[in-house]
Amino acid sequence: MDEKFDCIIVGAGVAGLSAAMTLARANMKFLLIEKGEFPGSKNVSGGVLWGNDLAKLVPDYWEEDAGWDRYINHRRLTFLDEQSSFSIDFKSSHFNEPPYTGVVVLRSKFDRWLAEKVEEAIAASDYAMDSFIAPNILVEEVLMENGKAVGIRTGDEKFYADSVIIAEGVNNLLTRQVGLQDKYVPADHMLTGVKEIIRFDQKVLEDRFQLNGKSGMSNEFVGFATNGVEGGGFLYTNKDTISLGLVLGLKDLREKEQTPYDILNHFKKHPAISDMIRGGEVVEYSAHIVSSGDKRVMPEKLYKAGLVICGEAANLLMNAGKAIQGMDYAMRSGILAAEAITKAKEKGDFGEDAMKIYQTALEDSYIMKDINNFQDAVHLLHDPVMTQKVPNLICDFGRNFFSIKNEPTPKSREMLRGAIKRHASYWELIKLGAKGAKAL
Amino acid sequence: MKLLTLPERLGLVSYRNQAKSEIKPHILVDTDICNSTCPHKCTTYVCPANCYTKDEDGNVHFQVEDCIECGTCMYACDQGAVTWEFPDPEIGRGVTWNFG
Repeated sequence: MDEKFDCIIVGAGVAGLSAAMTLARANMKFLLIEKGEFPGSKNVSGGVLWGNDLAKLVPDYWEEDAGWDRYINHRRLTFLDEQSSFSIDFKSSHFNEPPYTGVVVLRSKFDRWLAEKVEEAIAASDYAMDSFIAPNILVEEVLMENGKAVGIRTGDEKFYADSVIIAEGVNNLLTRQVGLQDKYVPADHMLTGVKEIIRFDQKVLEDRFQLNGKSGMSNEFVGFATNGVEGGGFLYTNKDTISLGLVLGLKDLREKEQTPYDILNHFKKHPAISDMIRGGEVVEYSAHIVSSGDKRVMPEKLYKAGLVICGEAANLLMNAGKAIQGMDYAMRSGILAAEAITKAKEKGDFGEDAMKIYQTALEDSYIMKDINNFQDAVHLLHDPVMTQKVPNLICDFGRNFFSIKNEPTPKSREMLRGAIKRHASYWELIKLGAKGAKAL
Repeated sequence: MKLLTLPERLGLVSYRNQAKSEIKPHILVDTDICNSTCPHKCTTYVCPANCYTKDEDGNVHFQVEDCIECGTCMYACDQGAVTWEFPDPEIGRGVTWNFG
Protein backbone atom coordinates (compact mmCIF):
# COMPACT_ATOMS: atom_id res chain seq x y z
CA MET A 1 0.00 0.00 0.00
CA ASP A 2 1.57 3.29 -1.14
CA GLU A 3 -0.83 5.73 0.38
CA LYS A 4 -0.13 7.33 3.70
CA PHE A 5 -2.60 7.41 6.55
CA ASP A 6 -3.26 10.27 8.94
CA CYS A 7 -2.88 7.74 11.73
CA ILE A 8 -2.11 4.09 12.38
CA ILE A 9 -3.56 2.67 15.59
CA VAL A 10 -1.93 -0.45 16.99
CA GLY A 11 -4.42 -2.60 18.90
CA ALA A 12 -8.19 -2.84 18.58
CA GLY A 13 -9.04 -3.07 22.26
CA VAL A 14 -11.08 -0.49 24.08
CA ALA A 15 -8.44 2.26 23.74
CA GLY A 16 -7.73 1.62 20.06
CA LEU A 17 -11.39 1.33 19.10
CA SER A 18 -12.28 4.50 21.01
CA ALA A 19 -9.50 6.33 19.20
CA ALA A 20 -10.69 4.91 15.88
CA MET A 21 -14.28 5.94 16.48
CA THR A 22 -13.15 9.47 17.32
CA LEU A 23 -10.92 9.66 14.23
CA ALA A 24 -13.68 8.35 11.95
CA ARG A 25 -16.09 10.98 13.24
CA ALA A 26 -13.43 13.66 12.62
CA ASN A 27 -13.06 12.48 9.01
CA MET A 28 -9.54 11.21 9.44
CA LYS A 29 -7.96 8.51 7.33
CA PHE A 30 -6.63 5.73 9.52
CA LEU A 31 -5.61 2.12 9.78
CA LEU A 32 -6.48 0.18 12.93
CA ILE A 33 -4.39 -2.96 13.26
CA GLU A 34 -5.26 -5.90 15.51
CA LYS A 35 -3.10 -9.00 16.03
CA GLY A 36 -6.02 -11.22 16.98
CA GLU A 37 -8.49 -12.97 14.74
CA PHE A 38 -11.02 -10.20 15.45
CA PRO A 39 -11.13 -7.22 17.84
CA GLY A 40 -11.50 -8.54 21.39
CA SER A 41 -10.20 -12.01 20.60
CA LYS A 42 -7.06 -11.54 22.70
CA ASN A 43 -8.54 -9.35 25.41
CA VAL A 44 -9.30 -10.37 28.96
CA SER A 45 -10.91 -8.18 31.59
CA GLY A 46 -12.85 -8.55 34.84
CA GLY A 47 -14.80 -6.65 33.85
CA VAL A 48 -16.92 -3.65 34.38
CA LEU A 49 -16.70 -0.64 32.09
CA TRP A 50 -17.33 2.19 34.55
CA GLY A 51 -18.74 5.61 33.81
CA ASN A 52 -20.60 6.88 30.82
CA ASP A 53 -18.08 7.55 28.05
CA LEU A 54 -19.52 4.64 26.08
CA ALA A 55 -22.59 6.78 25.41
CA LYS A 56 -20.32 9.36 23.76
CA LEU A 57 -19.08 6.74 21.33
CA VAL A 58 -22.32 4.81 20.85
CA PRO A 59 -25.25 7.04 21.82
CA ASP A 60 -28.22 5.10 23.16
CA TYR A 61 -26.18 1.88 23.30
CA TRP A 62 -28.65 0.68 25.95
CA GLU A 63 -31.38 0.44 23.29
CA GLU A 64 -29.47 -2.49 21.80
CA ASP A 65 -29.38 -5.95 23.23
CA ALA A 66 -25.81 -6.39 22.02
CA GLY A 67 -22.24 -5.75 23.04
CA TRP A 68 -22.65 -5.28 26.77
CA ASP A 69 -24.09 -7.80 29.23
CA ARG A 70 -25.67 -6.06 32.22
CA TYR A 71 -25.75 -2.68 33.90
CA ILE A 72 -24.59 -2.46 37.51
CA ASN A 73 -27.06 -1.40 40.19
CA HIS A 74 -25.71 -3.60 42.96
CA ARG A 75 -22.24 -3.28 44.50
CA ARG A 76 -20.74 -5.45 47.19
CA LEU A 77 -17.39 -5.51 48.96
CA THR A 78 -16.86 -8.73 50.91
CA PHE A 79 -14.31 -9.54 53.59
CA LEU A 80 -13.58 -13.24 53.90
CA ASP A 81 -11.99 -15.45 56.51
CA GLU A 82 -11.94 -19.21 56.29
CA GLN A 83 -15.59 -19.67 57.22
CA SER A 84 -17.24 -16.28 57.05
CA SER A 85 -18.09 -13.43 54.74
CA PHE A 86 -18.84 -9.91 55.92
CA SER A 87 -20.09 -7.53 53.23
CA ILE A 88 -20.73 -3.91 52.59
CA ASP A 89 -23.65 -4.08 50.22
CA PHE A 90 -25.26 -1.30 48.26
CA LYS A 91 -28.11 -1.64 45.79
CA SER A 92 -30.14 1.19 44.38
CA SER A 93 -32.83 1.62 41.74
CA HIS A 94 -31.19 5.02 41.26
CA PHE A 95 -28.80 3.19 38.91
CA ASN A 96 -31.57 1.54 36.89
CA GLU A 97 -32.03 4.21 34.25
CA PRO A 98 -29.65 5.00 31.40
CA PRO A 99 -27.16 6.50 31.09
CA TYR A 100 -25.77 3.73 33.26
CA THR A 101 -22.73 4.30 35.44
CA GLY A 102 -21.26 0.88 34.82
CA VAL A 103 -21.85 -2.01 32.45
CA VAL A 104 -20.44 -5.53 32.63
CA VAL A 105 -18.76 -6.64 29.44
CA LEU A 106 -17.09 -9.74 28.03
CA ARG A 107 -14.34 -8.50 25.77
CA SER A 108 -14.56 -11.05 23.00
CA LYS A 109 -18.15 -9.92 22.46
CA PHE A 110 -17.90 -6.24 23.48
CA ASP A 111 -14.85 -5.26 21.44
CA ARG A 112 -16.17 -7.05 18.37
CA TRP A 113 -19.46 -5.16 18.72
CA LEU A 114 -17.69 -1.83 19.24
CA ALA A 115 -15.60 -2.56 16.13
CA GLU A 116 -18.82 -2.95 14.12
CA LYS A 117 -19.85 0.50 15.34
CA VAL A 118 -16.47 1.86 14.23
CA GLU A 119 -17.00 0.25 10.80
CA GLU A 120 -20.33 2.10 10.58
CA ALA A 121 -18.60 5.37 11.48
CA ILE A 122 -15.92 4.71 8.84
CA ALA A 123 -18.64 4.06 6.24
CA ALA A 124 -20.23 7.41 7.10
CA SER A 125 -16.90 9.28 6.90
CA ASP A 126 -15.09 10.85 3.94
CA TYR A 127 -12.69 7.91 3.96
CA ALA A 128 -15.26 5.13 3.73
CA MET A 129 -13.02 3.28 1.27
CA ASP A 130 -9.66 4.34 2.70
CA SER A 131 -9.84 3.75 6.46
CA PHE A 132 -9.62 0.16 7.65
CA ILE A 133 -9.77 -2.17 10.60
CA ALA A 134 -7.24 -4.90 9.82
CA PRO A 135 -7.20 -7.99 12.05
CA ASN A 136 -4.68 -10.85 12.03
CA ILE A 137 -1.70 -8.53 11.67
CA LEU A 138 1.08 -8.35 14.21
CA VAL A 139 2.96 -5.04 14.36
CA GLU A 140 6.60 -5.86 14.99
CA GLU A 141 8.08 -2.40 14.87
CA VAL A 142 7.21 1.26 15.00
CA LEU A 143 9.18 2.92 12.23
CA MET A 144 11.06 5.99 13.42
CA GLU A 145 12.82 8.58 11.27
CA ASN A 146 14.82 11.37 12.90
CA GLY A 147 13.06 10.74 16.21
CA LYS A 148 9.58 10.85 14.69
CA ALA A 149 7.21 7.91 14.24
CA VAL A 150 6.40 7.50 10.56
CA GLY A 151 4.64 4.17 10.40
CA ILE A 152 4.82 0.51 11.34
CA ARG A 153 6.33 -2.71 10.08
CA THR A 154 4.72 -6.13 10.00
CA GLY A 155 6.91 -8.87 8.54
CA ASP A 156 8.38 -7.36 5.35
CA GLU A 157 5.53 -4.94 4.88
CA LYS A 158 5.61 -1.31 5.93
CA PHE A 159 2.71 1.06 6.36
CA TYR A 160 3.21 4.79 6.67
CA ALA A 161 1.30 7.48 8.54
CA ASP A 162 1.69 10.96 9.98
CA SER A 163 1.05 9.55 13.43
CA VAL A 164 0.91 6.31 15.40
CA ILE A 165 -1.29 5.56 18.39
CA ILE A 166 0.06 2.69 20.47
CA ALA A 167 -2.86 0.95 22.16
CA GLU A 168 -1.24 -2.46 22.45
CA GLY A 169 -2.25 -3.29 26.02
CA VAL A 170 -0.32 -3.90 29.21
CA ASN A 171 2.31 -6.14 27.62
CA ASN A 172 3.59 -3.06 25.86
CA LEU A 173 6.45 -4.31 23.71
CA LEU A 174 6.27 -1.43 21.22
CA THR A 175 6.18 1.14 24.03
CA ARG A 176 9.43 -0.44 25.25
CA GLN A 177 10.86 -0.52 21.74
CA VAL A 178 10.36 3.24 21.26
CA GLY A 179 11.99 3.82 24.63
CA LEU A 180 9.04 5.12 26.64
CA GLN A 181 9.11 2.12 28.98
CA ASP A 182 12.05 0.17 30.36
CA LYS A 183 12.96 -2.97 28.41
CA TYR A 184 12.39 -5.08 31.52
CA VAL A 185 9.46 -4.24 33.76
CA PRO A 186 9.80 -5.95 37.15
CA ALA A 187 7.00 -7.86 38.85
CA ASP A 188 6.82 -5.44 41.76
CA HIS A 189 3.69 -3.53 40.82
CA MET A 190 2.10 -5.91 38.36
CA LEU A 191 -0.64 -8.40 39.10
CA THR A 192 -1.65 -11.65 37.46
CA GLY A 193 -5.38 -12.00 36.91
CA VAL A 194 -6.98 -15.43 36.57
CA LYS A 195 -10.62 -15.92 35.80
CA GLU A 196 -13.28 -18.47 35.05
CA ILE A 197 -16.45 -17.86 33.12
CA ILE A 198 -19.13 -19.99 34.76
CA ARG A 199 -22.40 -20.59 32.95
CA PHE A 200 -25.83 -21.03 34.54
CA ASP A 201 -29.36 -21.36 33.34
CA GLN A 202 -30.21 -17.66 32.97
CA LYS A 203 -33.21 -17.91 35.30
CA VAL A 204 -31.08 -19.59 37.98
CA LEU A 205 -28.49 -16.84 37.66
CA GLU A 206 -31.10 -14.09 37.90
CA ASP A 207 -32.79 -15.64 40.92
CA ARG A 208 -29.54 -16.41 42.71
CA PHE A 209 -28.12 -12.92 42.35
CA GLN A 210 -31.46 -11.07 42.54
CA LEU A 211 -31.14 -9.65 39.07
CA ASN A 212 -34.03 -8.06 37.25
CA GLY A 213 -34.05 -7.70 33.48
CA LYS A 214 -30.60 -6.41 32.54
CA SER A 215 -29.49 -5.42 36.04
CA GLY A 216 -26.24 -6.83 37.36
CA MET A 217 -24.01 -7.08 40.40
CA SER A 218 -20.33 -6.53 41.01
CA ASN A 219 -18.72 -8.08 44.05
CA GLU A 220 -15.10 -7.66 45.16
CA PHE A 221 -13.45 -9.85 47.79
CA VAL A 222 -10.50 -9.45 50.13
CA GLY A 223 -8.97 -11.84 52.64
CA PHE A 224 -9.21 -15.63 52.36
CA ALA A 225 -9.77 -15.36 48.60
CA THR A 226 -6.09 -14.93 47.79
CA ASN A 227 -4.64 -17.42 50.31
CA GLY A 228 -2.25 -14.95 51.89
CA VAL A 229 -1.10 -13.36 48.63
CA GLU A 230 -1.60 -9.65 48.10
CA GLY A 231 -4.62 -8.95 45.89
CA GLY A 232 -8.32 -9.70 45.80
CA GLY A 233 -11.18 -11.52 44.14
CA PHE A 234 -14.08 -10.46 41.96
CA LEU A 235 -17.44 -11.71 40.76
CA TYR A 236 -19.44 -10.01 38.04
CA THR A 237 -22.78 -11.16 36.66
CA ASN A 238 -22.95 -11.43 32.88
CA LYS A 239 -26.07 -12.31 30.90
CA ASP A 240 -26.10 -16.04 31.65
CA THR A 241 -22.60 -16.47 33.08
CA ILE A 242 -20.52 -15.01 35.87
CA SER A 243 -16.92 -13.87 35.74
CA LEU A 244 -15.19 -15.17 38.85
CA GLY A 245 -11.54 -14.51 39.42
CA LEU A 246 -8.58 -13.15 41.29
CA VAL A 247 -5.91 -10.55 40.82
CA LEU A 248 -2.68 -11.55 42.53
CA GLY A 249 0.36 -9.42 43.26
CA LEU A 250 3.03 -11.04 41.11
CA LYS A 251 6.00 -10.27 43.32
CA ASP A 252 4.14 -11.63 46.34
CA LEU A 253 3.10 -14.71 44.39
CA ARG A 254 6.74 -15.31 43.52
CA GLU A 255 7.94 -14.79 47.07
CA LYS A 256 5.23 -16.98 48.61
CA GLU A 257 5.76 -19.69 46.00
CA GLN A 258 2.10 -19.93 45.09
CA THR A 259 0.27 -20.89 41.92
CA PRO A 260 -2.61 -18.83 40.49
CA TYR A 261 -4.95 -21.67 39.49
CA ASP A 262 -4.52 -23.40 42.85
CA ILE A 263 -5.48 -20.18 44.63
CA LEU A 264 -8.51 -19.91 42.32
CA ASN A 265 -9.68 -23.33 43.52
CA HIS A 266 -8.98 -22.29 47.12
CA PHE A 267 -11.24 -19.25 46.55
CA LYS A 268 -13.98 -21.39 44.97
CA LYS A 269 -13.94 -23.73 47.99
CA HIS A 270 -14.91 -20.93 50.37
CA PRO A 271 -18.41 -21.77 51.68
CA ALA A 272 -19.88 -18.40 50.62
CA ILE A 273 -18.44 -18.70 47.11
CA SER A 274 -19.30 -22.35 46.69
CA ASP A 275 -22.94 -21.48 47.48
CA MET A 276 -22.88 -18.83 44.78
CA ILE A 277 -21.46 -21.03 42.03
CA ARG A 278 -23.31 -24.26 42.77
CA GLY A 279 -24.57 -25.97 39.62
CA GLY A 280 -22.56 -23.76 37.30
CA GLU A 281 -20.43 -25.01 34.44
CA VAL A 282 -17.01 -23.54 33.73
CA VAL A 283 -16.88 -22.58 30.05
CA GLU A 284 -13.61 -20.63 29.92
CA TYR A 285 -10.43 -20.23 31.92
CA SER A 286 -8.23 -17.22 31.19
CA ALA A 287 -5.38 -15.20 32.64
CA HIS A 288 -3.75 -11.87 31.99
CA ILE A 289 -1.30 -9.44 33.50
CA VAL A 290 -2.81 -6.24 34.83
CA SER A 291 -1.11 -3.11 36.11
CA SER A 292 -1.86 -1.76 39.58
CA GLY A 293 -2.17 2.00 39.23
CA ASP A 294 1.06 2.54 41.14
CA LYS A 295 2.61 5.62 39.55
CA ARG A 296 6.13 4.49 40.36
CA VAL A 297 6.13 2.10 37.43
CA MET A 298 3.92 3.90 34.93
CA PRO A 299 5.63 5.26 31.82
CA GLU A 300 6.19 8.94 32.60
CA LYS A 301 6.17 10.30 29.11
CA LEU A 302 3.39 9.14 26.81
CA TYR A 303 4.38 10.76 23.54
CA LYS A 304 7.11 11.31 21.01
CA ALA A 305 7.00 13.18 17.74
CA GLY A 306 4.19 11.53 15.75
CA LEU A 307 3.34 9.07 18.51
CA VAL A 308 1.13 8.69 21.57
CA ILE A 309 0.50 5.83 24.01
CA CYS A 310 -2.90 5.12 25.53
CA GLY A 311 -4.86 2.61 27.61
CA GLU A 312 -3.10 -0.18 29.48
CA ALA A 313 -0.01 0.28 27.28
CA ALA A 314 0.44 3.44 29.37
CA ASN A 315 -0.55 1.44 32.48
CA LEU A 316 -3.69 3.51 32.86
CA LEU A 317 -5.53 1.42 35.39
CA MET A 318 -6.35 1.86 39.04
CA ASN A 319 -8.02 0.13 41.91
CA ALA A 320 -8.33 2.58 44.78
CA GLY A 321 -10.83 0.44 46.66
CA LYS A 322 -13.99 1.74 45.06
CA ALA A 323 -13.76 0.06 41.68
CA ILE A 324 -11.20 -1.46 39.36
CA GLN A 325 -11.01 1.13 36.62
CA GLY A 326 -9.13 0.32 33.45
CA MET A 327 -11.47 0.05 30.50
CA ASP A 328 -12.95 3.50 31.14
CA TYR A 329 -9.42 4.91 31.30
CA ALA A 330 -8.67 3.15 28.02
CA MET A 331 -11.77 4.62 26.43
CA ARG A 332 -11.13 8.19 27.56
CA SER A 333 -7.40 8.09 26.77
CA GLY A 334 -8.17 6.72 23.29
CA ILE A 335 -10.60 9.57 22.70
CA LEU A 336 -8.06 12.14 23.94
CA ALA A 337 -5.31 10.65 21.78
CA ALA A 338 -7.50 10.87 18.68
CA GLU A 339 -8.47 14.44 19.50
CA ALA A 340 -4.83 15.48 19.81
CA ILE A 341 -4.04 13.84 16.47
CA THR A 342 -7.01 15.52 14.80
CA LYS A 343 -5.74 18.88 16.07
CA ALA A 344 -2.26 18.06 14.82
CA LYS A 345 -3.67 17.30 11.38
CA GLU A 346 -5.54 20.64 11.31
CA LYS A 347 -2.30 22.44 12.07
CA GLY A 348 -0.25 20.21 9.82
CA ASP A 349 2.22 19.58 12.63
CA PHE A 350 2.71 16.16 14.20
CA GLY A 351 5.84 17.12 16.11
CA GLU A 352 6.60 16.47 19.73
CA ASP A 353 4.80 19.58 21.00
CA ALA A 354 1.67 18.67 19.06
CA MET A 355 1.66 15.22 20.64
CA LYS A 356 2.29 16.66 24.08
CA ILE A 357 -1.23 18.09 23.90
CA TYR A 358 -2.45 14.54 24.48
CA GLN A 359 -0.57 14.10 27.73
CA THR A 360 -1.67 17.55 28.92
CA ALA A 361 -5.29 16.62 28.20
CA LEU A 362 -4.79 13.36 30.06
CA GLU A 363 -3.32 15.19 33.07
CA ASP A 364 -6.34 17.52 33.07
CA SER A 365 -8.81 14.63 32.83
CA TYR A 366 -10.29 12.61 35.68
CA ILE A 367 -7.88 9.79 34.86
CA MET A 368 -4.62 11.39 35.97
CA LYS A 369 -6.37 13.48 38.60
CA ASP A 370 -7.67 10.29 40.21
CA ILE A 371 -4.42 8.39 39.75
CA ASN A 372 -2.50 11.26 41.36
CA ASN A 373 -5.01 11.79 44.17
CA PHE A 374 -5.41 8.15 45.15
CA GLN A 375 -1.82 6.87 45.19
CA ASP A 376 -2.05 6.44 48.96
CA ALA A 377 -5.18 4.36 48.55
CA VAL A 378 -3.41 2.15 45.99
CA HIS A 379 -0.56 1.57 48.46
CA LEU A 380 -3.01 0.96 51.31
CA LEU A 381 -4.86 -1.72 49.36
CA HIS A 382 -1.60 -3.57 48.87
CA ASP A 383 -0.69 -3.40 52.55
CA PRO A 384 -0.67 -6.93 54.03
CA VAL A 385 -2.52 -5.66 57.12
CA MET A 386 -5.33 -4.56 54.84
CA THR A 387 -5.45 -7.67 52.68
CA GLN A 388 -5.14 -10.26 55.46
CA LYS A 389 -5.50 -9.07 59.02
CA VAL A 390 -8.40 -6.68 58.55
CA PRO A 391 -10.67 -9.24 56.81
CA ASN A 392 -9.94 -11.77 59.58
CA LEU A 393 -10.64 -9.20 62.24
CA ILE A 394 -13.90 -8.07 60.64
CA CYS A 395 -15.15 -11.63 60.18
CA ASP A 396 -14.21 -12.51 63.77
CA PHE A 397 -16.16 -9.49 65.01
CA GLY A 398 -19.10 -10.45 62.78
CA ARG A 399 -19.14 -13.98 64.13
CA ASN A 400 -19.32 -12.70 67.71
CA PHE A 401 -21.73 -9.88 66.96
CA PHE A 402 -24.21 -12.14 65.20
CA SER A 403 -23.94 -15.03 67.69
CA ILE A 404 -26.97 -15.18 69.98
CA LYS A 405 -26.10 -17.47 72.88
CA ASN A 406 -28.79 -17.00 75.53
CA GLU A 407 -26.07 -15.57 77.69
CA PRO A 408 -25.44 -11.99 78.72
CA THR A 409 -24.21 -10.20 75.56
CA PRO A 410 -20.98 -8.24 75.80
CA LYS A 411 -20.97 -4.71 74.45
CA SER A 412 -19.97 -4.48 70.79
CA ARG A 413 -16.97 -2.39 71.80
CA GLU A 414 -15.61 -5.28 73.86
CA MET A 415 -16.23 -7.70 71.00
CA LEU A 416 -14.31 -5.43 68.68
CA ARG A 417 -11.46 -5.09 71.15
CA GLY A 418 -11.25 -8.89 71.39
CA ALA A 419 -11.26 -9.28 67.63
CA ILE A 420 -8.49 -6.72 67.24
CA LYS A 421 -6.39 -8.44 69.87
CA ARG A 422 -6.73 -11.80 68.15
CA HIS A 423 -5.80 -10.61 64.66
CA ALA A 424 -3.76 -7.44 64.77
CA SER A 425 -2.41 -4.84 67.13
CA TYR A 426 -3.85 -1.43 67.89
CA TRP A 427 -0.65 0.07 66.62
CA GLU A 428 -1.10 -1.61 63.21
CA LEU A 429 -4.65 -0.34 63.02
CA ILE A 430 -3.69 3.17 64.05
CA LYS A 431 -1.08 3.21 61.30
CA LEU A 432 -3.62 1.80 58.85
CA GLY A 433 -6.26 4.29 59.97
CA ALA A 434 -3.85 7.17 59.50
CA LYS A 435 -2.96 5.91 56.02
CA GLY A 436 -6.64 5.40 55.28
CA ALA A 437 -7.59 8.90 56.37
CA LYS A 438 -4.85 10.29 54.15
CA ALA A 439 -5.83 8.06 51.25
CA LEU A 440 -9.51 8.93 51.15
CA MET B 1 -19.42 -27.54 42.12
CA LYS B 2 -16.53 -29.73 41.01
CA LEU B 3 -13.21 -27.92 40.96
CA LEU B 4 -11.31 -28.13 37.70
CA THR B 5 -7.74 -29.26 37.25
CA LEU B 6 -5.46 -27.15 35.09
CA PRO B 7 -5.57 -29.57 32.12
CA GLU B 8 -9.38 -29.46 32.28
CA ARG B 9 -9.24 -25.66 32.30
CA LEU B 10 -6.81 -25.48 29.41
CA GLY B 11 -9.04 -27.91 27.54
CA LEU B 12 -11.59 -25.07 27.36
CA VAL B 13 -9.16 -22.67 25.68
CA SER B 14 -9.35 -22.10 21.90
CA TYR B 15 -5.78 -22.06 20.63
CA ARG B 16 -4.80 -20.76 17.22
CA ASN B 17 -3.25 -22.82 14.45
CA GLN B 18 -3.96 -26.08 16.23
CA ALA B 19 -4.01 -28.01 13.00
CA LYS B 20 -0.42 -27.02 12.23
CA SER B 21 2.21 -29.50 13.30
CA GLU B 22 5.03 -26.95 13.36
CA ILE B 23 4.52 -23.63 15.07
CA LYS B 24 6.88 -20.76 15.68
CA PRO B 25 7.29 -20.28 19.44
CA HIS B 26 6.63 -16.71 20.59
CA ILE B 27 8.52 -17.16 23.84
CA LEU B 28 12.14 -18.23 24.04
CA VAL B 29 13.51 -19.38 27.37
CA ASP B 30 17.19 -19.69 28.10
CA THR B 31 16.80 -22.61 30.50
CA ASP B 32 20.57 -22.63 31.01
CA ILE B 33 20.00 -19.56 33.18
CA CYS B 34 17.09 -21.25 35.01
CA ASN B 35 19.18 -24.32 35.68
CA SER B 36 22.41 -22.66 36.69
CA THR B 37 22.06 -19.35 38.50
CA CYS B 38 18.31 -18.75 39.13
CA PRO B 39 17.57 -18.82 42.86
CA HIS B 40 13.78 -19.36 42.61
CA LYS B 41 12.72 -20.93 39.28
CA CYS B 42 9.48 -19.05 39.87
CA THR B 43 8.01 -19.53 36.40
CA THR B 44 7.41 -23.18 37.33
CA TYR B 45 4.78 -22.09 39.84
CA VAL B 46 3.53 -18.63 38.81
CA CYS B 47 2.68 -19.44 35.18
CA PRO B 48 -1.14 -19.70 34.97
CA ALA B 49 -0.86 -22.31 32.20
CA ASN B 50 2.00 -24.35 33.69
CA CYS B 51 4.14 -23.94 30.58
CA TYR B 52 7.21 -24.13 32.78
CA THR B 53 7.83 -27.41 34.60
CA LYS B 54 10.55 -28.92 36.75
CA ASP B 55 11.75 -32.47 36.19
CA GLU B 56 12.89 -34.94 38.85
CA ASP B 57 16.34 -33.35 38.93
CA GLY B 58 14.86 -29.90 39.43
CA ASN B 59 15.67 -28.77 35.89
CA VAL B 60 13.30 -26.30 34.23
CA HIS B 61 11.63 -27.15 30.93
CA PHE B 62 9.44 -24.92 28.81
CA GLN B 63 6.70 -25.65 26.24
CA VAL B 64 4.83 -22.93 24.40
CA GLU B 65 1.80 -24.96 23.24
CA ASP B 66 -0.35 -24.23 26.31
CA CYS B 67 0.60 -20.54 26.55
CA ILE B 68 -2.38 -18.23 26.92
CA GLU B 69 -0.36 -15.03 26.28
CA CYS B 70 -0.95 -13.57 29.74
CA GLY B 71 2.55 -12.12 30.08
CA THR B 72 3.19 -13.33 33.65
CA CYS B 73 6.58 -14.92 32.94
CA MET B 74 7.89 -11.76 31.25
CA TYR B 75 7.61 -9.88 34.56
CA ALA B 76 8.14 -12.75 37.00
CA CYS B 77 11.50 -13.77 35.54
CA ASP B 78 14.01 -11.30 36.91
CA GLN B 79 16.98 -13.33 35.62
CA GLY B 80 16.77 -12.38 31.96
CA ALA B 81 15.89 -15.90 30.81
CA VAL B 82 12.58 -15.07 29.12
CA THR B 83 12.32 -13.42 25.69
CA TRP B 84 8.67 -12.68 25.09
CA GLU B 85 6.95 -11.72 21.82
CA PHE B 86 3.38 -11.92 20.65
CA PRO B 87 2.63 -15.01 18.56
CA ASP B 88 2.58 -14.71 14.79
CA PRO B 89 -1.06 -14.88 13.61
CA GLU B 90 -0.20 -17.31 10.79
CA ILE B 91 2.49 -19.60 12.15
CA GLY B 92 2.40 -18.96 15.89
CA ARG B 93 0.31 -20.32 18.73
CA GLY B 94 -1.65 -18.20 21.18
CA VAL B 95 -5.32 -17.79 21.92
CA THR B 96 -8.68 -16.65 20.65
CA TRP B 97 -10.91 -16.03 23.65
CA ASN B 98 -14.56 -17.00 23.39
CA PHE B 99 -15.60 -14.78 26.30
CA GLY B 100 -12.55 -12.81 27.39
